Amino acid sequence: MKTLAIDFLLKKAPIAIAMVDTKLNFINYSNQWRKDFTLNNSDYIGKNLFEVIGETPGQFDKDLKKGLKGEEIENLGQKYILPSGKLQWLKWKISPVKIDDTNDLDGLLIFLEDVTEDKKEIELLHKAEAVARIGCWEIDLINNSLYWTKTTKDIHEVSEDFVPDLAQGINFYKEGSHRDKITELVGTAIEQGKSWDTELIIITAKGNEVWVRAKGEVEMAKGQPVRIIGTFQDIDQTKKMQLAHEEISERLKITTQTAQIGIWDFNLETNELLWDNEMYQIFGVQKDDFSGVFEAWESTIHPDDKEKALKATENAVAGVKDFDEEFRIILKDGSIKHIKGTSKTIKDYNGKPIKLTGANWDITNLRSTELKLIRSTESFIETFDNASIGMALVSPDFRWLKVNKSLLNSLGYTEKELLSMKTLDITHPEDILASKSFHTSAYDGLNDTYQLEKRYFHKDGHLVHVVLGVTVVKDMNDNPSHTIAQFLDITDRIESEKRLQTLVEVTKSQNDSLMNFAHIVSHNLRSHSTNMTMLTKFLTMEEDEEERKNLHNMINNAAESLAETIAHLNDVVQVKTGTLENLKSIGVLNTVHHIKKSIGGLLEEQNAVLNINVSKTHFVNAVPAYLESIFLNVITNALKYRSENRAPIIEISSKIKGDHVLITFSDNGQGIDLKRHGDKIFGMYKTFHKHKDAKGIGLFITKNQIEAMGGKINLESTVDVGTTIFIELKKA
Amino acid sequence: MKNVQICCIIDDDPIFIYGTKRIMKEVDFAETILVFNNGQEAVEGLMEISQSGELMPEVIFLDLNMPIMNGWEFLDEYKNLPNHNTEKTIIYIISSSVDPRDLERVKNYEQVNNYILKPITPDDLSNILKATKT
Repeated sequence: MKTLAIDFLLKKAPIAIAMVDTKLNFINYSNQWRKDFTLNNSDYIGKNLFEVIGETPGQFDKDLKKGLKGEEIENLGQKYILPSGKLQWLKWKISPVKIDDTNDLDGLLIFLEDVTEDKKEIELLHKAEAVARIGCWEIDLINNSLYWTKTTKDIHEVSEDFVPDLAQGINFYKEGSHRDKITELVGTAIEQGKSWDTELIIITAKGNEVWVRAKGEVEMAKGQPVRIIGTFQDIDQTKKMQLAHEEISERLKITTQTAQIGIWDFNLETNELLWDNEMYQIFGVQKDDFSGVFEAWESTIHPDDKEKALKATENAVAGVKDFDEEFRIILKDGSIKHIKGTSKTIKDYNGKPIKLTGANWDITNLRSTELKLIRSTESFIETFDNASIGMALVSPDFRWLKVNKSLLNSLGYTEKELLSMKTLDITHPEDILASKSFHTSAYDGLNDTYQLEKRYFHKDGHLVHVVLGVTVVKDMNDNPSHTIAQFLDITDRIESEKRLQTLVEVTKSQNDSLMNFAHIVSHNLRSHSTNMTMLTKFLTMEEDEEERKNLHNMINNAAESLAETIAHLNDVVQVKTGTLENLKSIGVLNTVHHIKKSIGGLLEEQNAVLNINVSKTHFVNAVPAYLESIFLNVITNALKYRSENRAPIIEISSKIKGDHVLITFSDNGQGIDLKRHGDKIFGMYKTFHKHKDAKGIGLFITKNQIEAMGGKINLESTVDVGTTIFIELKKA
Repeated sequence: MKNVQICCIIDDDPIFIYGTKRIMKEVDFAETILVFNNGQEAVEGLMEISQSGELMPEVIFLDLNMPIMNGWEFLDEYKNLPNHNTEKTIIYIISSSVDPRDLERVKNYEQVNNYILKPITPDDLSNILKATKT
């Protein structure tokens, strides 16, 4: 065996190969072995294998032992982590060498190869494959077989020992367009040697839909395709993102189109302005007519807004402030549009602005609506402020929110005063309930409007009558927010109605008293006339002189009575006509003094005392002669009907009562039984005392005089205690 | 024709009283004539007569318009007089009033036989006699 030729061959073999004897001592080895597995180049023939190569995996030892037992062992390459921690891929073949034709073992022929570098590279590739989710595959067109790498199998979600065939491989593609497409591509590749690169959906073994990118390249031999090698990449996430992006972009496009928002790009470096279709629509420009430069845009801007727009653009270009302006443009046909524009400035790495991107939209409608709103608001405010009727805005909790001048005039408050109050603060107590219930039903949505006649108190205390018209104002959600109230001041009307009512009452009572008067007149005149008729008849028949004289006397008396009655009637008639025109301001005290003086004798005669407690400042509107007659009548009545048991004391006092002066005459006389006579105390020819001078005319005339001057008379009396007469006359 | 025993005139007008008395004499209307000048006097006078058990007037001529107590008030008081033969007394209202309200009001008083407008005449008295005695 130790032939030179063999030695030489062994030495020069381009692989690491060694021959050892049964003791594992080197017999020979190739140069490559020495290079790969010895520490130095020294010769170690005859030395033990393990002395020379140092660290080896345990498996190698075991295999050597097997070899020594005559087995041939091949290791196609395995990764070993050596005891030192070193990672090594080794590949070996151990063949027992036998002595010619005997079964005796002569030694071992060892082929050893360190494939660490190659294996590392493959491992990296696999890792890269797995990380990038790019698998490989290969179709052997000669055997019609298909091979998938691990990642390809992973992407298909099949187990590692899965062996695909071509039909199966294609059936993983989603039925329909995807499977049709791959079938076509593979077919074309086989027939025409055409490569492909496509993105399709497969359904994995677990039923998941996954987007993949499949690439195939055909290898030709002698003009015939023999093999197709390709990659298989999981692009599901990317694809889905891309699809989502496309969807969003599409949606955005539809949105901007629908919303008529124009999008533009302005390249600062090239002064190129790029518009989308909406921009052309908004600016009313034909795409072909647009020069696509900044100046083209600038020229459309309304002259009044140009400065503002250009300044904003300048700032945007300089990157100082993004464009955010409203401006007007003039279209070719001369019409004006209001445009809202915004932009973003895009800068390069150095912060230098390179591009503006922005949006424009037409806000003409918005502006004109706003304008209309402003005009309508203005006209409301104008109406509100200048309305001749009172107007106010009132909150749900009855606060005055806004009031106009007319209302302030009606109520007498200043705006500041009124705004600090609630409407109910100055509402007449009797009207609060109605006000509240209308208010509530309006806010509950039962009525949108209501009308109500109610009363407020003027600042100075008098009543203000209004017809209140209320309209509920609703907010955007259709909830009532406040009310608009209109106040028609009908105080004058009510006052005149009242005056009219009073007038009607006065007229009615005057009519009644005139009626009474007429009957009294007829009664009295009839009494006298019948008496006279009777007496004259007696006279004609009477012959006795004495009796005739008597009758003459009686006729005289009757005639005098008739004259007196007529005088009374005359007094009464005078009172009834044209009194109010003659009213003058008269001092009450003056008149009292005047009367006191004129009846001084009478007072003295009866030891009467007048206690006068009348203010000098009390003046009344009266006819002087009436006032004197009234006072005289009341005082003389008090004296006439004095008590027989005591000297008359008359108290006269005065005080202010509203717009009247109340004058009180209090005596200590006989008094009148008001239960019996109360209803006819002021009647004509009503007398209640046994007094020869009682005619029943004094108080009747007094009452008529007082009423004719717009006053009132009343009395209180207790028999044998005294009488108090209350006279109210209008304050002057 | 038999005449009235006692006749009563309640009136404040002396001329009327004079005239009426004179006519009564002419027709011999009554044996005795009582005169009161107003309702109050009449109520008091009649009360006295009634209490003393004397004869009450058969006929009363009552005026309406009088001081202190008028005819209406007298009628109200008269009802309350403690007299057992007031129902035999006939009351005539003698007044100058042509006021329809007065004529209407008279209907409310049962005791009132008739309403005679002043002046009273001999014929009136004859009619009254006829009415009382039949």
